[in-house]
Amino acid sequence: MAVKDKLKTELFPTIWCPGCGIGLIMQQLASVMDDLGLDKTNTVLITGIGCTGRMGAYMNFESVYTLHGRTLPVAEAIKLVRPELNVIVVSGDGDTASIGGNHLLHSIRRNPNVTVICNNNEIYGLTGGQAGPTTPKGTSTISSPSGAGYSPINLQGVVASNPNAFYAKTTVYHQGPMKKAIKEAIQWPGFAFVDVASQCIENNGRRIGFSSANDMLQNYRTEYKAAPAGATHLEPHQTGIVKGEPLPVAGGSGNGSKN
Amino acid sequence: MAKRLVQGNEAVFLGAVKAGASFFAGYPISPSSEILAQASVYASKNPEFRFLQEEDEIASANAILGGSLAGAKSFTATSGPGFSLMQEAVGYGHKVGIPCVIVNVMRVGPGTGMPTMPGQGDLLQTRYGSTGDYTSIVFYPSTVAECYEYSIQAFNAAEESRSPVVLLSDAFLGHLNEVADLDTIDVPVVPRTLEPLASGSTRLFSGVATYPDGEPATADGDEFIRQYYESRDNRLAVAEKYNFHEYGWNKDAETLVIAFGITARVARPLAPYFALFRPIRMWPTLDKELAEVAGKYKKIVVIEGSDGQYASVVEHMLLRRVERVPLLGGRMSIEAISEGLDRIGMLPAGFAVDKKSTVAVG
Repeated sequence: MAVKDKLKTELFPTIWCPGCGIGLIMQQLASVMDDLGLDKTNTVLITGIGCTGRMGAYMNFESVYTLHGRTLPVAEAIKLVRPELNVIVVSGDGDTASIGGNHLLHSIRRNPNVTVICNNNEIYGLTGGQAGPTTPKGTSTISSPSGAGYSPINLQGVVASNPNAFYAKTTVYHQGPMKKAIKEAIQWPGFAFVDVASQCIENNGRRIGFSSANDMLQNYRTEYKAAPAGATHLEPHQTGIVKGEPLPVAGGSGNGSKN
Repeated sequence: MAKRLVQGNEAVFLGAVKAGASFFAGYPISPSSEILAQASVYASKNPEFRFLQEEDEIASANAILGGSLAGAKSFTATSGPGFSLMQEAVGYGHKVGIPCVIVNVMRVGPGTGMPTMPGQGDLLQTRYGSTGDYTSIVFYPSTVAECYEYSIQAFNAAEESRSPVVLLSDAFLGHLNEVADLDTIDVPVVPRTLEPLASGSTRLFSGVATYPDGEPATADGDEFIRQYYESRDNRLAVAEKYNFHEYGWNKDAETLVIAFGITARVARPLAPYFALFRPIRMWPTLDKELAEVAGKYKKIVVIEGSDGQYASVVEHMLLRRVERVPLLGGRMSIEAISEGLDRIGMLPAGFAVDKKSTVAVG
């Protein structure tokens, strides 16, 4: 098998804008899937509304493109009914943390053995660039012309409310660490969340002063630093992995449990 | 199982198990909560039956969509306010074609309303609650034994139509205890019709308008219309096999009463004076079946637990005016029906409410 077998390349080019970060996530996810032997008979993708949700259509897996915000109830139910499957959620920050925020809180609490990969571009991109739950305070958007008024949601803190969960922060610039984070998240027995900073040049970046997608990637390169080894908490603009105490997962072999 | 006392909500749950349901997701809400409790107890003794108590009804409805796609016959139970929260998922289930069952044990709305009192005000919500056009199949039993029977039929219709089917009940029926021997009720079970996830194919289940290969069809009206009529025609054809209704009481009377669910039983003391048409399949409407009998009657009166939701539907079905007896505020009683009939000058001469048995059984 090869990485490209994980992708429906016949549907390329994708609908994503030139310079979008989502494709960089899809590429590393496909690579991890190849490494771990994930295929259409043992893995399903659950995606949510937003640009990121289209990823399910471009991969050689069965996938459920859920209603806006509802990836986790669908994913958790699938995992409960079919524990042998790897259940991977791919969605954006608005879908996951705003309209789906209540499900996130409670899925984390129940610690289902699913993996969430969050394309975190700090904006509602598909609808044109409105402020979202992760938009930094003060950011000018089309729904916050004088600057976003509130602090962004603390995703690390939300995930850490489950002492047995896995949280990783990475960026699309840091391809090696991103691949490592996705791989370890899929192997983690229990709830795993990969928070990927990813650029939206068309509906955010240019408005806040970046001239190109590459500018945004270079910004990730200079702004983000790896957390010190053994860190139990990531500071802002640190990449790394914070693992809780892993719980043995009852039943099934998907997403890391070793039956 | 011999004859024993069975509660309406319990009978719904037992019917689901009989139909092969193996996943329940729900959120507590009166007057449906016994179904959730039954599911949790059953799951603790039968690990192949999966149970999730969700954070809300939005999660519950989306979870049964996921559970069904994963391969389990799946269901949830709720009441009006929770059913409102589920509506977006109902539409998704219709669009994607996902078999599942939603039990709605109706109370008095709108808002939080009267949580433990019976109502029938979700009738239109079961037909038009979600956005866009879709074809609902909805059953509404009126005895505990029927709760069991039509629970099985709801799962059967869901499988055949590949859509979310609604089983209606109400606070009165859900909490009613009646003697029944459910083992004597023999309904053949329709097996699963949807290939479970990870089948080895690469299907995309999407609420977005898409072509069969998964590419977006979000601006192709012709493709939308093709898919819409295909699913509508399929669901109407399936519903034809489930045209449950009852026609009885005094068929020689001048007036036809239309009543359904618990109301048809509360109205039972009027049997000598009226004919009865009782739809069990509430949606799609029983146009042909009703038209066959309605022509014989000078007047038609719809007795229902809402301010004329079904009466308006009947007028539309028959293109004629009908009289209305709305039973509001949870007043599901023969007194309330008598008052209503009296108000419109239709109370039979000589009819008096028997104070000793204001709740009719049988």
